[in-house]
Amino acid sequence: MEKFLLLIREDLQFRAKMTPADFKHNLQIMTKWVEWMAQSGNFLNADPLTDKGAYIGQNYVLSDGPFIEAKESISGFILIQAESLDQAVSFAQLCPLVLNGTAAVEVRTIMNMNMDDSNE
Amino acid sequence: MNDAIDPVQRTVDDLYKTHYGKIVSVLLTNFPDIPLESVEDAVHDAFAAALTAWAAGTHPASTIPSNPIPSNSISSNSIPSNPPGWIYTVCRNKMINLLREGQRLRPLPDQHAGVEPNFDGPSSTFKDQQLNLLFSCAHPDLSPKVQVVITLKYVANLKTAAIAQALGMTEDGIDKLLFRAKKKIREEKLFLLDPGGLTGLHHRLPTVHKIIYLIFNEGYKPSSGDEAVNEAMCEEALLLCKDILDLGHGDTATRALYALMLFNAARFGGRLSPSGELLDLDEQDRSLWNRPMIVLAGDFLRQSRSTHLSSYHYEAGIAWLHCSADSFAGTNWRLISRLYLRLLRMNPNPFVELNYAIALYYAGGKAKAFEILEGLLHQPFMNGYYLLNAALGKLYMLEGDAARAKQFFARTLEQTTHPLEVAFIHRLSPP
Repeated sequence: MEKFLLLIREDLQFRAKMTPADFKHNLQIMTKWVEWMAQSGNFLNADPLTDKGAYIGQNYVLSDGPFIEAKESISGFILIQAESLDQAVSFAQLCPLVLNGTAAVEVRTIMNMNMDDSNE
Repeated sequence: MNDAIDPVQRTVDDLYKTHYGKIVSVLLTNFPDIPLESVEDAVHDAFAAALTAWAAGTHPASTIPSNPIPSNSISSNSIPSNPPGWIYTVCRNKMINLLREGQRLRPLPDQHAGVEPNFDGPSSTFKDQQLNLLFSCAHPDLSPKVQVVITLKYVANLKTAAIAQALGMTEDGIDKLLFRAKKKIREEKLFLLDPGGLTGLHHRLPTVHKIIYLIFNEGYKPSSGDEAVNEAMCEEALLLCKDILDLGHGDTATRALYALMLFNAARFGGRLSPSGELLDLDEQDRSLWNRPMIVLAGDFLRQSRSTHLSSYHYEAGIAWLHCSADSFAGTNWRLISRLYLRLLRMNPNPFVELNYAIALYYAGGKAKAFEILEGLLHQPFMNGYYLLNAALGKLYMLEGDAARAKQFFARTLEQTTHPLEVAFIHRLSPP
């Protein structure tokens, strides 16, 4: 099994305008999705993010990061373990926020430093 | 006329349920060059043709011109003596036509001219075929949910509507999922079954276990639809697991999984009151539990002994402790909480943590239990989880804190719309 980070990307300005009821509903459908991944032993960790943050470079700190302005910014993450990138994609395709069109999911493979490889 | 249509309709419906996937899998094996969609189309067409041909009593050759079916396969009441064979023959001829169209009348290999397979015989050929298909569904590139859906569709022969209901999804959602899955099935030749049997796919056994486990769980949840569909799902999971064991493909984890499902299935009848209310474990009439099934489950659990324990071993152990306790209070909660802790170490996730905390509460570790449960509430994805809030409501009730219990029950009512669960919470809530 490999580890994958699923980055939930959505329009934060759109999300900020959501009614509390819609927001709650989205959290609940996400919980159901996460529960399935937990049942099958693939779920590792997850959390949504607020839109508060900062953007730090060598010579600057932006308190309102570009993530606020961007059309699509990271609004949460899910860490899973899966057989392959294909399977991780298959999980992401069933993310309820992808299905209802409010978010996109970026799937990234976590780098695995294999000690055997470094000896080769 | 209507009198004549009903038995035909019923025969075709029953046949669809029992043979759709079988016929698809045999055709896919015998005609590996024909894509899944065309095979499915052909089988659907054949069922539709059966409906009209058998109802009208016409010879099928007149409805399907290219199809020389011997007339002796049609009995006087217009339903053929071997209905699955009729469907298969129609499909096979269609496959041959498709191949001819594609291959400019190249001579066909002998296997296509053979007699129709025996669909209902005692031989295990069909079970082998079905298991082969099950292992094919356990493809590592598909997520467990997709694996479950295609298993329900092609191995268990459920219609889309039933799958949607069982999994709490919309039919549209299932269709979209199947659409993507079919692309994979086509590109990877997923159902191109190895005539040599399962040997090449045997390493997928753990994935197959997971599929069966998930199907059973979906059926066992009281919230996932009507009781008949739920029971059918549980039965299907039990049958698939038993087939793996009977045909010698299982290991100790298969036995533990089978034991786990039997322990739970044995308690199916106790979960609802005579008036149809959902009952918590401490309210159930234990005399309604199926004792012979519990004994059988115990046998399989004993046979599952191994130095390498799977999560199913721990879950089956927990289920065994529940089934063998004479009362809720007399349950060995300390051991149950320890088994949950093992499970948690194996697969750390907040849902197992919730069960661990509940067991810990009944084992006497109340302070630690509340600490865990309150901690889980801080996790955004758990905060709105019906079972967490219901558990907190119930445990605060037991502690005599009616005010807090009421708050959690009120939250719970916002988190479920299922009538059984709503009624359950209303019954638990303090006045």
